[in-house]
Amino acid sequence: MDHLLPAEILEADRAFPGALAACADVDALLRLKGAYVGREGSHAARLMDLLKAAPKEQKRDLGAAINGLKQQWEEGLKARQADLEAVKRSRNDLASRWDPTLPPPVPARGALHPLNRLMDRLVEVFRPLGFHVEEGPEVETEAHNFDGLNIPEDHPAKASSDTFYLAAHPELLLRTHTSPVQVRTLLRVAPDLEKLGGIRFLAPGRVYRKDEIDPTHSPMFHQVEGMLVGHDIGMQHLKGTLEYALRALFGPHTEIRLRPSYFPFVEPGCEVDVSCPLCDAKGCRVCKGSGWVEILGAGLLHPNVLRYAGIDPEEWSGWAFGMGVERMAMMLSQTPDLRLFFENDQRFLKAMGGLD
Amino acid sequence: MWIERKALAAEVPAAAGLDTRQLCELLAALGFPVDGVASREGTEVLDVDITANRGDAMSHRGMAREVAAKLQQPLAPLAPPPVTEGAPKIPVRLESPACPLYATALLSLGKGATPPEVQSFLRALEASAKGLPAVDASNELLLRYGHPTHAFDTDRIQGAVSVRWATAGEKLVTLDGVARTLTALDLVIADEAGPIAMAGVMGGDGTKVTEATRRVLLESAWFDPKTVRATARRHSLHTDASHRFGRGADPAMATVARNLLVERLQAWAGATLEGAWTAGVLPAPAGSVILAEALLSRVAGEALPLGEAAEALQRLGCGVEARREALAVQPPSWRHDLTIPEDLAEEVLRLRGYEAIQSVLPPLEGPPQPLAPGYLQRQALARRLAHLGFHQTVTYGFISPEADAAFAAPDNAPEGRTLVNPLGQEYSMMRGTLLSSLRAAAEQNLRQGAREIRLFEIAPTYVSGPRGPVEGFTLGLAWGGTVGGEDYLSPARSVREADLSGMARDLGLAAVPEIRSLSEGLFGFEVPVSALPQAGARIIPAFRPFSRFPSVERDLSLLVDLGQSHDALVAVMRAALPEETLQDLRCVDVFRHKSLPEGRQAWLMRLRFQADRTLVGTEVDGWMASALAAAEGLGARLRA
Repeated sequence: MDHLLPAEILEADRAFPGALAACADVDALLRLKGAYVGREGSHAARLMDLLKAAPKEQKRDLGAAINGLKQQWEEGLKARQADLEAVKRSRNDLASRWDPTLPPPVPARGALHPLNRLMDRLVEVFRPLGFHVEEGPEVETEAHNFDGLNIPEDHPAKASSDTFYLAAHPELLLRTHTSPVQVRTLLRVAPDLEKLGGIRFLAPGRVYRKDEIDPTHSPMFHQVEGMLVGHDIGMQHLKGTLEYALRALFGPHTEIRLRPSYFPFVEPGCEVDVSCPLCDAKGCRVCKGSGWVEILGAGLLHPNVLRYAGIDPEEWSGWAFGMGVERMAMMLSQTPDLRLFFENDQRFLKAMGGLD
Repeated sequence: MWIERKALAAEVPAAAGLDTRQLCELLAALGFPVDGVASREGTEVLDVDITANRGDAMSHRGMAREVAAKLQQPLAPLAPPPVTEGAPKIPVRLESPACPLYATALLSLGKGATPPEVQSFLRALEASAKGLPAVDASNELLLRYGHPTHAFDTDRIQGAVSVRWATAGEKLVTLDGVARTLTALDLVIADEAGPIAMAGVMGGDGTKVTEATRRVLLESAWFDPKTVRATARRHSLHTDASHRFGRGADPAMATVARNLLVERLQAWAGATLEGAWTAGVLPAPAGSVILAEALLSRVAGEALPLGEAAEALQRLGCGVEARREALAVQPPSWRHDLTIPEDLAEEVLRLRGYEAIQSVLPPLEGPPQPLAPGYLQRQALARRLAHLGFHQTVTYGFISPEADAAFAAPDNAPEGRTLVNPLGQEYSMMRGTLLSSLRAAAEQNLRQGAREIRLFEIAPTYVSGPRGPVEGFTLGLAWGGTVGGEDYLSPARSVREADLSGMARDLGLAAVPEIRSLSEGLFGFEVPVSALPQAGARIIPAFRPFSRFPSVERDLSLLVDLGQSHDALVAVMRAALPEETLQDLRCVDVFRHKSLPEGRQAWLMRLRFQADRTLVGTEVDGWMASALAAAEGLGARLRA
């Protein structure tokens, strides 16, 4: 029957499967559809014109041939359109689908300073024992920083080589320890001590000593002071409290050890060691193989400290301790250089301070 | 101080049976931690930490006393051959109560040298051996027995010797070759030509013993600790002698040490004793201290029998007399630190071992006190800022005057906050601002490649006052760099001042503080913490009714002048609207473009109304018209 059809139509029919496959999207397919089976100017339209002009005896056969072609083309187009639409739908689906592995917007995250975090933790540890927080100024009087603490008039710590003094106010200095908070607090509560039933508090804060800045020294650092005044307070109460607190801090298996030492404001005085929390007292670099790390200084309040505040040492007694926050932070974190705590690099702060 | 094992064992033979670790633990338990162990001169030396109150322990004999008391073992006897005293060969006058006792001797030196084992002992303890027997023997005695002595070249002393206060301005060249100008508070040994030694601190260069010395005058005295400390500090001259006299030497050792020194010079240098004599007398011992049983039990936390305490104190050299429920204790001449009953209680516990102290929680005698609101406020503030993405910094309280002047209030006088002895000019002023410190930390972070920097500090700042700097806790905040751009939804943009004012509002500040430009793209503000709202006294605030009817939101696009103040526009619009119904009125978008009339910008104002009823469209239309009319009063126009 093909002899009835013009050569270009036969050529177009041969090209049809290739053209169909070449359609990348529905638009291209619609253009192809127009060219083959469109109402005007298409191959099909031309065949219809041919049919109209054909001699009567050929019409039947020609018509059949034309219909065959058209039907074949239309089916091909329809199938291909369905395929292309399915592809498009699935692309749309993908486009609208959320990829949970794509990095999402994350709220900004800051950090508390590790030293503050450690001080907060210490307060938390002592809180259940009824300790509250007392604070005092960093610019202190010589009386509060030294005299009220039974530190002799000619003590070397008073020298301008050790302690910073204010130029316009020779009696004022930068406190060298948090102990003046003891003096201030005792002076304040002395008249009500009986009514209060004694006093127990922590005094966290910043202190200053005239040390050059190096990996283990800083002219400003932090201390946490603890103090308790009550009736019949002895060394057993100091030991009991510190054992409780250091176990809360380092774990229930922690052991503590008291060694005699000397501070002018306590008598008896002691250094307190804790079983090395880094190696479980097995011996490591931090505890120099001894299994113990020195953690704080403490003792029973010297009667002169109570007397200075107007408290009768015959009736009242107490204890105090003081610990270096940086020292403990460095020990716990293995931070190699003290200066990192004052550099305030965000990477350090984020890693070391974090959030609770 | 360095302690040599064999020399220690020579004083307390029982120490020879301890290995190094046992000895270190024993010393630590007595209050003398060992900082290190070294091997020198074929012997082992321990670096023993001795607290400032224990001048008596600063020698091998002193350390041995402690070990002997703890181990309950005897000390080796200390009995130098007696030296017969006679009339003074050179008169010695004691003119100050700061030197009550001065034992001396005059010897002519023969031939001889310091024995090698003594030189080795000195070197092991990091004391140099001079090869001069008089000098080496004095050093050896000091390290072994703790009593400083001195030898003068007798032939260079002019006339009589006196121990007296210096006259202000008097000069002395000390052994270290430094010319020192003395004050009237310095105690000196003087001859008739002037000072020849700083008492208890250092000898003079002019009378020092040399190779050429033929005759020596020995000094073994007792000087007042306070006087020696003051002179050592005044002249920044801290010596082995000043450390021991300054902490309190044993007056009873003065004669013994003199005799030991005589003995050594006779043995080592073939010296001949020409005469020995003593000026002054032993200072009167301090009175006895009463240790009551009740105090001892209170400190110890348990009933300790007084007999046990007495025995312990006697082991330490105390004279003890039993009284009714108490002990009268006479401390030994070398223990100047035992002055109150608590000191004695400590000694009893120390010998018993602190490990024997029980562990007891102190009973509560009154109600616990709450944490102070100011403290809680700062804790909460820090946590909140950390959760908002800010990093808490800790910076020094002192900064340079320039850094301070950059941000501190102009009326905050720098003079009142300046340190007299700062570490350096950059640390010389108690800061009136946190912003300089935050700026430095932020810039350092940005230099290190930080993309965004968010820092805050809560610390005191200082305001000069008539009686000194007044400190108050301040919050400082710095924010800079680029926000966003780190994920597919948040566009990148620079931090702007508005970000900081938003943060200030979020913190509840009634008035937005001045937002300071710290450097390119870095902004900050600081406020007193007291300006921030504190948690109310009520756990939950009082209930305030709120409407459950739907609110109506309308936008109004206005053309306003470029200089238009938002607050002013909002104020006039609010005034034209029913106060109880208008819930919110604000600009939610700003559009500036050359397509707009020159000098104008477009603001999209959003109004939200709500009442205790459903609002009708026409009444809202009326309010919008009023709002527009009010805005037009300020020159605004409806944007077409």
